Amino acid sequence: MPRPPDTSLITDLLEQLLHGITLGAMYAMVAAGLALMLGVARLINFAHGEFFMLGAYAFWFAYSELGMPYPLAALLAPAVMVVFGVAYQRTVIRAILPRSWHVQLIATLATSIVLTNLAIIVFGTQPKEVPTVLSSRVLDVGGLRVVWQRLVVLAASLLIFWGLQRFVARTRTGRAMRAMSQNREACAVVGVDVQRTAMVTFALSAALAAAAAALVSPLFNIFPDMGTTLTLKAFAAVVAGGFGYVNGAIAASFLIGLTEALAGSYISYAYKDAIAFVIMIAVLLWRPQGLFGRRIGI
Amino acid sequence: MRRAGWLVLGAVVVTVPWLVATAIPRQQRYVLHVLIFTAIFAALALSYDLVVGHVGSLSLAHPAFFGIGAYAAAILATRAGWPFLASVLAAVLAAALVAALVGVPLFRLAEHAFAVGTLGLALVASVVANNWVEVTRGPLCITGIPKPRLGALAITTLPAFYWLALTALVAVALLYRGLTTFRLGRAFHAVRDNEPLAGAAGIDPLKYRLLAFTLAGAIAGGIGALYAHYLSVMCPEEMTVSLTVNLLVIVFLGGVGSLRGVLVGAVLFTALPEVLRLTPTWRLVIYGGLLLLVVIRSPGGLESLLSRARSPR
Amino acid sequence: MPLLEVRGLVKRFLGVTAVDQVDLAVEPGELVSLIGPNGSGKTTLFNCVTGYLAADGGRVLFRGHDLTSAPPHRVARLGVARTFQQVSVFPRLSALENLLVFLQQHQEEQLLARLLRTPRVRRLEAAAVDRARRLLDLVGLGAKADAAAGSLSYGQRKLLAFAGALMPDPDLLLLDEPAAAVNPTMINQMKDHILALHREGKTVLLVEHNMDVVMDISQRIVVLDHGQKIAEGPPAAIRRDPRVIEAYFGR
Repeated sequence: MPRPPDTSLITDLLEQLLHGITLGAMYAMVAAGLALMLGVARLINFAHGEFFMLGAYAFWFAYSELGMPYPLAALLAPAVMVVFGVAYQRTVIRAILPRSWHVQLIATLATSIVLTNLAIIVFGTQPKEVPTVLSSRVLDVGGLRVVWQRLVVLAASLLIFWGLQRFVARTRTGRAMRAMSQNREACAVVGVDVQRTAMVTFALSAALAAAAAALVSPLFNIFPDMGTTLTLKAFAAVVAGGFGYVNGAIAASFLIGLTEALAGSYISYAYKDAIAFVIMIAVLLWRPQGLFGRRIGI
Repeated sequence: MRRAGWLVLGAVVVTVPWLVATAIPRQQRYVLHVLIFTAIFAALALSYDLVVGHVGSLSLAHPAFFGIGAYAAAILATRAGWPFLASVLAAVLAAALVAALVGVPLFRLAEHAFAVGTLGLALVASVVANNWVEVTRGPLCITGIPKPRLGALAITTLPAFYWLALTALVAVALLYRGLTTFRLGRAFHAVRDNEPLAGAAGIDPLKYRLLAFTLAGAIAGGIGALYAHYLSVMCPEEMTVSLTVNLLVIVFLGGVGSLRGVLVGAVLFTALPEVLRLTPTWRLVIYGGLLLLVVIRSPGGLESLLSRARSPR
Repeated sequence: MPLLEVRGLVKRFLGVTAVDQVDLAVEPGELVSLIGPNGSGKTTLFNCVTGYLAADGGRVLFRGHDLTSAPPHRVARLGVARTFQQVSVFPRLSALENLLVFLQQHQEEQLLARLLRTPRVRRLEAAAVDRARRLLDLVGLGAKADAAAGSLSYGQRKLLAFAGALMPDPDLLLLDEPAAAVNPTMINQMKDHILALHREGKTVLLVEHNMDVVMDISQRIVVLDHGQKIAEGPPAAIRRDPRVIEAYFGR
């Protein structure tokens, strides 16, 4: 029986909203890591998107090439990226942490270029697809068709955000992170292990990016360039959310994800990548200190 | 003695086409092509250095201005049949206009936000170039850009283009010199090295940063126009972040804020990879690595170039 | 009419009121010192007056012009010069060039003439260089004219900054701790320079911790404590003022 036009419009809208929230969740996980680094260690990391990209390739390798079951592969990717993150932290980050942000920006931008192009050399430019059981199965709720994987992404991201909040609020390291984000100089005096906390924060941010990658890889193509745009959008979210305020970055990410999905669907698909920047610029012009005002600490 | 050295260098540079034609006739086309590219990138790097080296603003937006100029010229030349000089002028003005408009809000932002904002501009420009197909033909590129004509003079041969590119480089170098010496240069450097003190000296930092940014953007636009006319084709791939990395490498490894440094950097980092036949991908890996190494190892040289004195509190 | 008038100035930082309803007036030709214990708001007041901080309340008037929300360069152009607590120079410019930068504001108008380098422009530039050299000689840095400012000693940079403030012949000079962190010889030098300016009729407002200097040269002293003005008057009166004594010692 043909559906009345109204219902399909609403269904479309709901699907796009869901798509937007999923996108937002992905951006939020990436942006949260970026905001953590910025808030806790005052580090501008332009190579952050590459952690996502490498995490995605790690997941692809584990799932498609090694044939691991999905949950294992999905946990392996963040694990690999944590190791890589620690190695990167020991070499590059440690060297640039005390330097000016210009140095940090150029160094991490250079890293981003190196990693992206190495990925091209190693994996080739052909996008990889990683369809999983859940990404091909669709849940049909009265005409609304939802890919199961998207629900997994949403559920997992909520779980991750909840875990992150608990970690920051309850654990000693989390408290140290908060203290560092509020008053760095005092921390060293009081006995907070600044180096170790920075290292843990960095590993955490790498893991977040990789977890996001493992979750959304079944839904999107994997290609070497994907990190660059993601970094920029994550930065847009971090800037709009208040430069180091994690919840702000998360909120701004969902805003960007939703707007991108809706604008991409109803206005123009081609320009959707620019949406994040339009939002960021609009926020900066209207409230230069970010959507949530000037805040101290993460 | 130094004067003689410069004259000899100048003579060599000008007579290169003949020298190459006699010495390595079979490579002439390739060598001239590399040299033209080098001249174009040197001019572009000089314009970038105005912003990064002399006013101290880490802008990542240069590809946008390069692209805007290139596309403006390409479109006017192919669709409206504009002559070369007119399309270059239009390119310069278009890029300058965008730079001025975008610069005003951008420079009111804190430094980090400024850098991210300029990166965003570059991305937006790239997205527009790729997707505004009616105007830019997107990934299909604009083709058939006619060879430049300067009045009765048609620039159709490689040596002719070489001299044109060389003339452009000399013009940009002279402009760069003029802008970075005497009182204007002092004002730029004051803003770069100690913005609060510059304010106390009656210098409006916003005005001078915007001036440098707009002029640099304008020059980049003009170079873009020249580039488009040289290749006779203009594609969106020419205005990506890799261009910024190239420029960063040239400027930082050559010598920020120094005419000679940037020129040396341009020759090294444009000609060398061509000579070594590096694929673009490997070139970027090596450049990235070099940039990383230099930036990390530099014993404070880079730092002192970019950092400003502490603000008074 | 007072040259500088601060009316009910308020500045807050995250719940702390650094400047609390301060009134201050400086008449032309006066030599006024602003003193108070650490954290009393003196430099904050300076920063509000010269445009580096936005006041949360009150007004700043200079010769009747409302300067309250003016940015630093506009304040400078109106004839107010200042030095900074942490000595501030342009490290990569030579001492001479450092001073020339301070004349930027006066010579921008003639852009076209400047580009053409007319004889008038050349004369103006020569005059500028001449003035800079004379100021350098005045502060004893004549020999260092071509040395990079960053290579000078702390005391020399302090003198250079002082000379820089004098370059545009300002009507009002705001000196932030001119006697801080320098040896006694330099302190005397500074005192002499400030007194010389005073004799020439220049208006000077200084923030200073060194009580000897303050008592020695000031015509009038204003005392701040916790952001509020607690006393004002000639050195003799301030010296004996119980509130001032308490603010400094009675904690």
